Amino acid sequence: MNSFAAVPQSRRGPIPAKAGIGLRFPHHQVVADTRPEVAWLEAHTENYMGGGTSLRYLETIRRDYPLSLHGVGLSLGSAEEIDAAHLERVRRVVERIEPGLVSEHLSWSVVGGAYLADLLPLPMTEEALDVVCRHVEQAQACLKRRLLIENPSTYLRFRHSTIPEWEFLARLAERTGCEILCDVNNIYVSACNHGCDAATYLAALPPAAVGEIHLAGHAVKKLDDGQTLRIDDHGARVAPAVWALYAEALACFGPVPTLIEWDTNVPPLEVLLDEAARSAVMLEETEREYAAADAA
Amino acid sequence: MNTQPPTLLELQHAVHRSIVGHDDTEAAAYILADGIDPAARLGIYRNTFASALNNALKLSYPAVHRLVAAECFEGAARLFMEDQPPRSANLDDYGAAFAEFLSRFEPVSALAYLPDVARLEWAVSRALHAPDAPPLDLGRLAALTEDEQAHVFFTPHPSAALVRADHPADSIWRAVLAQDDAALAAIDPASGPVWLLVQRTECGVEVTRLSEAAWRFTEALFAGRPLHSALEEAPGAEASALLAEHLAAGRFAAFSVSDAAIS
Repeated sequence: MNSFAAVPQSRRGPIPAKAGIGLRFPHHQVVADTRPEVAWLEAHTENYMGGGTSLRYLETIRRDYPLSLHGVGLSLGSAEEIDAAHLERVRRVVERIEPGLVSEHLSWSVVGGAYLADLLPLPMTEEALDVVCRHVEQAQACLKRRLLIENPSTYLRFRHSTIPEWEFLARLAERTGCEILCDVNNIYVSACNHGCDAATYLAALPPAAVGEIHLAGHAVKKLDDGQTLRIDDHGARVAPAVWALYAEALACFGPVPTLIEWDTNVPPLEVLLDEAARSAVMLEETEREYAAADAA
Repeated sequence: MNTQPPTLLELQHAVHRSIVGHDDTEAAAYILADGIDPAARLGIYRNTFASALNNALKLSYPAVHRLVAAECFEGAARLFMEDQPPRSANLDDYGAAFAEFLSRFEPVSALAYLPDVARLEWAVSRALHAPDAPPLDLGRLAALTEDEQAHVFFTPHPSAALVRADHPADSIWRAVLAQDDAALAAIDPASGPVWLLVQRTECGVEVTRLSEAAWRFTEALFAGRPLHSALEEAPGAEASALLAEHLAAGRFAAFSVSDAAIS
């Protein structure tokens, strides 16, 4: 018998323009056992670079859900060469899991061979744009697929930046053919932290290049001097202001696969599914509006 | 102040000095203050660096974390990460030298067994994250001639490792993770040394105690010494039983026959 016959094929495949959730270790078992109603899942590439139980869970779950891989370690913005060993590890996970999408960040983490374990901000300069373009092209050639690049939350800006972040992303997409993973929460967090207008950012992104949206919760941190910074901790429900911005994003981009992320104090699966359901309603509404506009 | 904008590489080295070396001077000069002290802005990234690596170490060293106070662990982790930041973005690989670091970390010097427990935990963590590998083909092995069998040498399964500890690290590790205070209290820390085999199985990572001879025989095999040479480490009967057990438990991923047997 063809061993694939036992595998339900219908739910595999590309990532649909529907609501998905981030797959985290505490939910492996319950997702594998209960197969919840959710359109797709996204996993962190770096969590599946070894063998054993976690990879087995991911392979099992992969059989029934469209799955996307989201990386944090390629350090595409490093001035030095990207870590070939890490790119090879990513390539092996991608080859094994065959995800619908593969994404990474507009940031850097490695200098002098040290991995600084965070998505560090880039100066928005022509030099940085050249570096990121070169590394995105290298990664796309190695992985033999188009990448999606996500805007990170930032807590600082460099004096010598000359390009607005949205323009940086748009030019990156144009030069490399990569798509944009528009993290609406990150736009909101960065806009608050830097006193910019989030709606201007959204409106400036090229809609055709936006291939995925991320939504997550964030925290508000009081600094010693009484000032506040918003911190992208992925540790709460999506904030009301971010839902409002998400509605604007859908109006700009149309229906785009949307992911609910949650990484600190991960709650029961139901909470994530509940957030995804809210996004799903908004996506369906956008879908209907687009269908009506097409028919008119 | 330097008025020339930094190159990307200069800027990244300056941020490295800020995050790892706590020296904000240069990086802060590149940052727009915008009403908030650049040092406070850099502090957000330094905190993420510290908490991500503290978490990575805690995941690899859960028993060490429980054996010392949380603040003590955090203090050790912080010094360790500043001394030896990760060289790879795969944080499962981070912390190989933590046991050695703990053996020189004065605040825990009273816990003589702590570095041994840490070395065992590192082997357990390696086993958890090791790549999958199919077990060796027993049929092919059985088909070898007697002479070839004497000259066979093995590649251990990526998840299999040996640990020798001066203290009963396995009993301490088990009691701590089970939060079994009575069992922990009953352990004589001076009752070592112990000779341990670590391996990932279908049910998780197993830690087994071996006799010293069995451990030395296994160590010789894991090091790729041919069977006839490894047999010098242990009496024949015990060794063949152990070899059969290793094979049945899938502790080898491959074998070859050394040139000596082919001639």
